[in-house]
Amino acid sequence: MSIFQLLLPAFVASLILTGIHAYLGVHVVERGVIFVDLSLAQIAALGSTVAYLLGHDLHSTAAYLYSLGFTFLGAAIFALSRVHRKTRIPQEAVIGIVYAVSAAVAILVMSKATQETEHLKEMLVGNILSVTWPELAKTAVLYALVGVFHYIFRKRFLLISMDEQEAERQGLNIRFWDFLFYVSFGFVVTSSVAIAGVLLVFCFLIVPSVTAMLFASRLGTRLAIGWTMGALVSAAGVGLSFVMDLPTGAAIVGTFGLALLLLAGVRKAFFKPIAA
Amino acid sequence: MKRTLPILLAFAALASFGSAAEAKLRVVTSLQDLASIAQAVGGDRVETFALAKGYQDPHFVDAKPSFVLQLSRADLLIVAGLELEIGYLPPLIDQSRNDKVHPGNPGYLDASVGANILQRPTTQVTRAMGDVHPYGNPHYWTDPANGRVVARAIAARLTQLDAAGAAAYQKNLAAFEARLTQKQAEWQAKMAPYAGTKVVTFHDSWPNFAKAFKLVIVGHVEPKPGIPPSPTHTLETINLIQTQKVPVILVEPYFDRKTPDYIAGKSGAAVVILYPSVGGTPAIKDYFSLFDTDIDAFLAAMKGKK
Repeated sequence: MSIFQLLLPAFVASLILTGIHAYLGVHVVERGVIFVDLSLAQIAALGSTVAYLLGHDLHSTAAYLYSLGFTFLGAAIFALSRVHRKTRIPQEAVIGIVYAVSAAVAILVMSKATQETEHLKEMLVGNILSVTWPELAKTAVLYALVGVFHYIFRKRFLLISMDEQEAERQGLNIRFWDFLFYVSFGFVVTSSVAIAGVLLVFCFLIVPSVTAMLFASRLGTRLAIGWTMGALVSAAGVGLSFVMDLPTGAAIVGTFGLALLLLAGVRKAFFKPIAA
Repeated sequence: MKRTLPILLAFAALASFGSAAEAKLRVVTSLQDLASIAQAVGGDRVETFALAKGYQDPHFVDAKPSFVLQLSRADLLIVAGLELEIGYLPPLIDQSRNDKVHPGNPGYLDASVGANILQRPTTQVTRAMGDVHPYGNPHYWTDPANGRVVARAIAARLTQLDAAGAAAYQKNLAAFEARLTQKQAEWQAKMAPYAGTKVVTFHDSWPNFAKAFKLVIVGHVEPKPGIPPSPTHTLETINLIQTQKVPVILVEPYFDRKTPDYIAGKSGAAVVILYPSVGGTPAIKDYFSLFDTDIDAFLAAMKGKK
């Protein structure tokens, strides 16, 4: 086996992850719910823990369904806790609470389990090098479905993300559409965290979208910038991890950070400030 | 003669009643393995409590309030030593406010003293070497010969703390050693056909087990715990398994199987979950069934390879 055969699935995985996350990242950044992926990932992990306690294998379909069910619960909480700026409680507070409580409950559940639950701790770490082609194919199909779903209802999702008041004025059922948004988001995050770990997923979600916001305000342009950056930087990160003999996931995240820093400098030096 | 027997029995009953009414020696251990051996040697004169359960990674144990309570009432604390417990135990000993179990006092027993410790660094240990145990590999109890050393050390210390039980401890130790001798022969016989088998392990937890049963460890999946291996290292591991025809990867139960399963899938080796401690599964009730279970798991995987 050559290094190319080993790195290719990891690189393709980063491309697939960039594809969906750079898009969802636009919504997440616009809504100001930056840590929603960590929160959903944690509640999904709690679902797997419960499935494990009930006697299901950790990587079985049943465990996946449990983690998905818990993710839906999280989606419902986020949709219902949306407070329309009527109270001063920010959405991010609810997200933080869900994260902390589900992480703590997972620890409590594990401490009462009678055997080998220790590796549940590692569920959120993920090793992008150990992704397999069948796993990638499944993930790609799932993301494509979510992508199509979002494409069909793009006007509604985007309106709610970008201009909530206008959406309200048009009489959209915001809670319902929010629920659908977080459910689809949960679908994506549950599988991507299993592949790449929380750190890398967070990076794919936020960094391309933020970088694009530095240079453009139109959605199409932002997506194009985000995808291009995601693909190039992932390739650079995977390459760097090989050349410098570093853990691949962390190397990609580091490269994303570096790229954002460089591009922010470039923008400051050569571009006029864009109108928000 | 006919009369003496009932009288003797009555005395024996009285004696056993007397000893049961006495307070038992409270023995706290860091590992269930040490608790199992201490229980075997101490018999009904001691009660044991293990802090780390066998299914937990013994390096990282979440302290619970009950730990401090147990330590505060303990007469004897037995640790694996070699800094295995350094991450959680020292503050607990302080909090327990129990002078008896402080290092240096008779109520503190470092079970590694006298055991055959492998990988003692011969040069100065620095942080640059990563997660190296500066006093040698702390997983020494995975060699049954070291279990014998530990049992003797525990018997000696129990005798020192509880002179009245000297005879009982000697008798229990003799029984434990006799059983161990018999089991060692049985285990060696089972493993003999596989002497010299090359294995890859997830972490460096198995040098004593490998030495005891003549396995050759040729590599590790994740050289530094918690840090995913780099692509180059992963590739080296896969190629190593293929070129050296390594049949099995030994994995501790508390690590995620994703990476070892992936390497196994690419290289054709089989993943074997090997339990490093008593209590790793409910089936591993004592020090003997630890080896029974691990050796059977190894044999089952090797049979599958043929």
